[in-house]
This record gives sequence, C-alpha cells and structure tokens, in this order.
Amino acid sequence: MNSIEEKLWSYIDGTCSAEEREQITRLIDRDAKYKSMYAGLMQLNAEFNSLELDEPPMAFTYNIMEQIRKQEASTPLKAEINKYIIRAISIFFIGSILLLLGFALGDVNWNTGHGGIHLPQLLKLSGSAKLFIGFWIKGSLLFDIILGLFLLDAQLRKRTDTNNGMFKKI
Amino acid sequence: MQSKLSDIDLINQTLDGNQSAYADLVKRHQRFIFTLALRFSKNREDAEEIAQDCFVKAYRALNTFQRQSKFSTWLYRVVYTTAMTHLRKKRLVTDSIDDGDNYIRIADQYGTMDDNIAETKSRSYYLNLAVGQLLPDDAVIITLFYNGEQSIEEIAAALGMETGTVKVKLFRARQRLKEQLERLLKHEVKELI
Repeated sequence: MNSIEEKLWSYIDGTCSAEEREQITRLIDRDAKYKSMYAGLMQLNAEFNSLELDEPPMAFTYNIMEQIRKQEASTPLKAEINKYIIRAISIFFIGSILLLLGFALGDVNWNTGHGGIHLPQLLKLSGSAKLFIGFWIKGSLLFDIILGLFLLDAQLRKRTDTNNGMFKKI
Repeated sequence: MQSKLSDIDLINQTLDGNQSAYADLVKRHQRFIFTLALRFSKNREDAEEIAQDCFVKAYRALNTFQRQSKFSTWLYRVVYTTAMTHLRKKRLVTDSIDDGDNYIRIADQYGTMDDNIAETKSRSYYLNLAVGQLLPDDAVIITLFYNGEQSIEEIAAALGMETGTVKVKLFRARQRLKEQLERLLKHEVKELI
C-alpha cells in the first residue's frame, strides 16, 4: 500500500490484515492528519453508499418477456427434429449398414481348405436383401443422406454458437 | 409484488419452464443491470437495448449458470459482453481505465436534464452526475461495489482479475469520483455567486 488514503480505504473496506488494522486504528487515534482524513473518507463512503440505481422504462420486463416468447415460439419444431428425427435417422443408417454387412459376410466362404477365405466375385443376395437395390430405395437412401447431412450441419452450427465464448463459467 | 423466493429457486423454476419466474428475476435485477448498461453506454436508449438483450441472452444461457457465484455476478458478465458488442457495433470507443485522455465523453442523461433541474440541487444529485461522467470502467466498478453489493472478491471473479488489481482500480475510481464531485460542486458554487 502506498498512500495514507489507500491505507484508510482498505481499513474502511475491511480488506486489510488484522495487524494493519490495529496499526491504522492506533494512527487514527493519535495522528490528527489520519483522524481528519478518516472522517472525510467515512463521509464520502456514506455518500457513495447512497448512490441510486437508475430506473428502466415501464415496459422493460414486458418487452423482455415478449422477446423470449417470440423466440420460444420458433424453437419447439427444432427441438422435435433434434430429439427424435436425428435419432431415427441414425438408427436407420446404423441398422442398414449392419444388415448389409451381415448379408455380405454371410456370402463369404470361410472354409476353403487352402488356409484362407474365399470371397465371392459377385455378392449373392437373398430375396429380402434385393429390396435394398431397387431404384426407389436408392433414391430414398440418397434423400436420407442429404437430410442427415443438413441436420448434422444445423447441430454443429448450434454447438458453435453456444461455444462462442460469451458465457464463461463463473 | 416481487417474489420472495431466492434467485436459485427462480432459476430452477425457469428451467422447469415457468416463464413468470424469469419475469420475477428480471424485475429483481433490472435496475442494477440497466444502471450498469447506462454506465457503459452513457445513453438511456442504448442502455435499454443492452439491458434487454442481456436478459434475453441470460435466459437462453440460464442452464450454463454454475451457481458458484451470485446470479448478479453472472449477469454482470453477460451485460459486459453485450455492451461491448453493442458499442463496437456503434463504433463507440470505450478506452480502458488508464487511457482517460482518449475517452469520448458523450452527453449523458444527467447533462441533458440540466435545464429542467431546479436551482438548488442536492449533493446526491451531483454524486450521480459525477458517476455518470466517469470513464465506464470507473463507473462500473463503483456501481458493482456500492450498488451491486459485491465484495472485492466477487468483483474480481466477475472481471476476471486479481483482488489486488480490483482494490487498486476501486481506489483510483473513488479518487476520480471524488475529484469529479468536487469539480461539479465548485462549478455550482461559482454559478450561485
């Protein structure tokens, strides 16, 4: 601490150590300069404590709640999409991949007798598996992939916005 | 009539979907946040916009509030960021505490009221006027300490500074406020003579 004033403010705020406090109390009692400065700062501190807060306009709270309501009204659809559709699409993709993998591995001849495995030159699909090679199925899968990519993009953008550093954890 | 529930209770209710609980929170803290916004912007219209924006952002980010500090301390961080973004957009330069010479002083709310004020003005009027004329950094630290009832430690956490630095900044802000108040009162005495 440097000046007498700084020491006295620290004393008034109660931020000095017990030892310093004791020392300053003694100085205020004995030293006229300290005493008068302390009285002046105490008066000033009382005035600063009486500082008034400004009053916002009458419709302040209403305007905030209106803004929130408007924003809330546009979010439920997004929430629904995030929650259910993305999960459904993920399950569909994972299921399709596992199914196709299962069919493919099922056609592999594991016991060739030559110490290796024999991969078929053409994949022979069973009846139900042929459903996956139709034109409409291919189109539907393409559409799903595009939709999935859009939703993934939206999710990543949302995460980026949230992480944009303004709400630091205190 | 405002709710007697604690801030944390109101936050929990808000997170459970009760919007009126958030309205109560806003009512509870609106004067403090509006005053802080005014300290940054020096203009009531901008302050209103900043404070409203702050509360809307706080609502959206309420689930990120860690509850390790006062809600008002957390709100201060939001209002600070919002004010800086707003002022940057408006191309207003708000220089730091040690760069007072470059500060662009904007006619504040009190300055525009001068003509309408009765001749005899109270000392508290001049005090509020003096705070309004301080640099934003000084005015904010004074407001946080005296109006926000924040301890030095809480202010340090809110500003992301060491407590020692906050003590020095508060000391300098008080000195500047005292000088500003003396200048205003001296000017007033001269006018009366």
